[in-house]
Amino acid sequence: MYLGISAYNHQSAAALINEEGELINYYREEQLSRIKGDNSFPKNSIKKLFATNSLKIDDIKNVIFYEKPLSAYLNPLKVAAKNLPESLNLISHQLKNFKKTSLFCFVDLAKLYPGLEQKLLYIDHHLSHTLSALAYAESFQNICSVVADGFGDRSTTSISFVNNPNDIRELWSNDYPFSLGLFYSAITDFLGFAINEGEYKVMGLAAFGKNDSNLYNKMNKLIFWDKNEKTIKMDLSYFEYHKNIYNSFSIKLEELFGSSRNPLEKLDINNNDFQRYANIAFAAQEVLTNILKELFIYAHQLTGCSKFLFSGGVALNSASLRSITSLSFVEKIYIPPSPGDSGAAIGAAYFGFIKNNKNNSFKRITNLYPIIFNSKSQYKKTIKIVSEKFQYLSKNMEESFLLASELIKEGETIGTLISNAETGPRALGNRSLICNGQNLEAVIKLNTVIKDRSPFRPTAPAMNESTAKKYFILDDALYNSYFSMTSTVVLKGNSPIKDYPIIHVDGTARLQIVEPNTTLDKLLLNLRKYDIEIIANSSLNISGDPTCYDLIDGLMVCELSPLKYLLTDNGLLKKLN
Amino acid sequence: MKKKESAANVLYETAFAEYGSALEMLAACKQAIKVREVLGFFEHARDEYIHTKKFLSILKKQGKNLSNIIARKYKFVHIGALKKGYVSEKGYLIETKKMKDFVAYIYTNELIAEDEFSKILKYFEDDKESTDTIHSIMKDELRHHGMARKYFLKYYPFIQPYQLMIYKYREYLHNKGRKFYFKNFQILEKLFTPIYFSISFLVSLPLRLLNQREFSRINKNLMDISSKSLL
Repeated sequence: MYLGISAYNHQSAAALINEEGELINYYREEQLSRIKGDNSFPKNSIKKLFATNSLKIDDIKNVIFYEKPLSAYLNPLKVAAKNLPESLNLISHQLKNFKKTSLFCFVDLAKLYPGLEQKLLYIDHHLSHTLSALAYAESFQNICSVVADGFGDRSTTSISFVNNPNDIRELWSNDYPFSLGLFYSAITDFLGFAINEGEYKVMGLAAFGKNDSNLYNKMNKLIFWDKNEKTIKMDLSYFEYHKNIYNSFSIKLEELFGSSRNPLEKLDINNNDFQRYANIAFAAQEVLTNILKELFIYAHQLTGCSKFLFSGGVALNSASLRSITSLSFVEKIYIPPSPGDSGAAIGAAYFGFIKNNKNNSFKRITNLYPIIFNSKSQYKKTIKIVSEKFQYLSKNMEESFLLASELIKEGETIGTLISNAETGPRALGNRSLICNGQNLEAVIKLNTVIKDRSPFRPTAPAMNESTAKKYFILDDALYNSYFSMTSTVVLKGNSPIKDYPIIHVDGTARLQIVEPNTTLDKLLLNLRKYDIEIIANSSLNISGDPTCYDLIDGLMVCELSPLKYLLTDNGLLKKLN
Repeated sequence: MKKKESAANVLYETAFAEYGSALEMLAACKQAIKVREVLGFFEHARDEYIHTKKFLSILKKQGKNLSNIIARKYKFVHIGALKKGYVSEKGYLIETKKMKDFVAYIYTNELIAEDEFSKILKYFEDDKESTDTIHSIMKDELRHHGMARKYFLKYYPFIQPYQLMIYKYREYLHNKGRKFYFKNFQILEKLFTPIYFSISFLVSLPLRLLNQREFSRINKNLMDISSKSLL
């Protein structure tokens, strides 16, 4: 068995891959600790992997950490050292928090399971990302990997050529602090959203923006692709993330775009400044997309490849992908279900498998639900909560699905907490809030009343393959990502569903094609008789909290929100009163 | 403006404290074995989540009057509960304390919280809505305190009232100690800043000499780089 770990920077996670290269179990620390963005050493995840799989230390061949800790520690310090005296607080902070960095992975592991630290290996951060994408690809040879994130252990963006899983050569990289991810995070901060949490809100907000060439040109001066030097360049005078722990952008950015948004004020479509913020988000999205296009063009020039792996936090920017596939040479882009740092734990574990795989036989990871759980295991524990606050409408699963479908038809929202949870940040039906995607009132209620989200944020549609083909222009290059909701699609011209609430204001949708024999597939089959072929799907949580892991989390969502129905492995629950 | 910022700071920290409590209670709910305890901790967690939301809504109301630069300091990011120490990195209390001590902790801390909230009220003398909200939270805290007491009487009937008093004063002293430590820590932090900065400056001199090219992996097979190396 190979244990992959990602920690200390963004979302922590631990993954377990067996001798056959199968992802048999995976946990994101935030789902277990219930703290959104938990980046601490993933002790809960590792403990859970050991408990669920009855592991002993001897069962683990290697523990693979997803970055080179000393590089990750020294590289930003070196850049900060060049920016004295402004960077003194950052350097001082880094020195004081030495014990909280990835250099202490060895110690943390030794404290948790003494002996396990002896099996610890460290691999390049962008290699972890590349492998996390390669593990889900259909092809393991002659493929180009593009990684774009905030910061790894050396670079922020890289291009590699995967000759075969044992030969992955880096051909180009972009040094810190010139970073697409950190640029987008600084804009996120400027727009009043939390860094590492609010980037997808900027993406949603961008759809409301208007194309303003003046604003685009200003934004493009902040970060751009230098065609001569083939590198991403930035005017760092507008940013401070490389020299200040408190601010990601400088006062110059406010002089350029006007004042930043007060994060304590709710952003609403009716706000006076809404359009200004939307236009800034639009310009940032455009600039990011255009640089990514340049990056893929250069990757193609370097490798001659037409098939790509795309990973790193920037790959979560699903709205940019359609522009990349518009490039004539792009045949296929594989995006893993969790392209960010938490998914890199899977890549790290996969490294262990490749290195020890004597037969050189590789098969694709297809398991999109590796977080093991079954609500039956908490049936007895929650019996008192359920008897006091809920009632079972049915304990028979078939009947529960039928009843849930009827409720959806009537405009109700259903929470699902069925079996294993999804790998990535997108809920695919097992930890979802779902309603009739054709019913405007139901979608608005799901979005703003139950989830307490801003009304400008879109809700994704889920449907079967034939329905998706009927209404949307599907891109062959991105086909795989429709199953894990990692890219967006556009409607066909004059589509009858253009006014449906799951279509974003710019005519796009973050489509999910539902796999056969999954929770959503069963519901869609039942909903056919009511002429409902599209479900609105959002993750089962309340705004700001991580997606639910177990039954208690699901019951808590019902307690804290107006959600009335929860479909579980034990049956369909209805909240009393 | 100073008063408004102080109020924002108090609300911000209190929201984190309540969020930390919600996480502690949820963890206790998942660890508990008796179904009554599971229900009790579940309801307690729910209340603490609601309190967090209420404090944040008052903060948002107050925040409208703050400048953007100040308001940005009070952006609520959940991971702050860990970074600020409202939840220990070592794990939740239920994992480190015996159930009896854990309930004693609730028994005393709910009372302390109620007392602390009464001090917050001074910031919102002119805001009836916020005052009413805080009063309702204070009532909840007293209820939680009472429930912990009931638990003791039920499951530990031989515990004498003086033992509960000892628990209470022990935690009260702990709390005072924490505040004293925090205040002094802040003073020490200010005193030591020039020393930290001097050390940082000295450290940064050799760091500047580091050759970034050494980090380069161009044209190297990433699979063959030593996986024992930290660099």
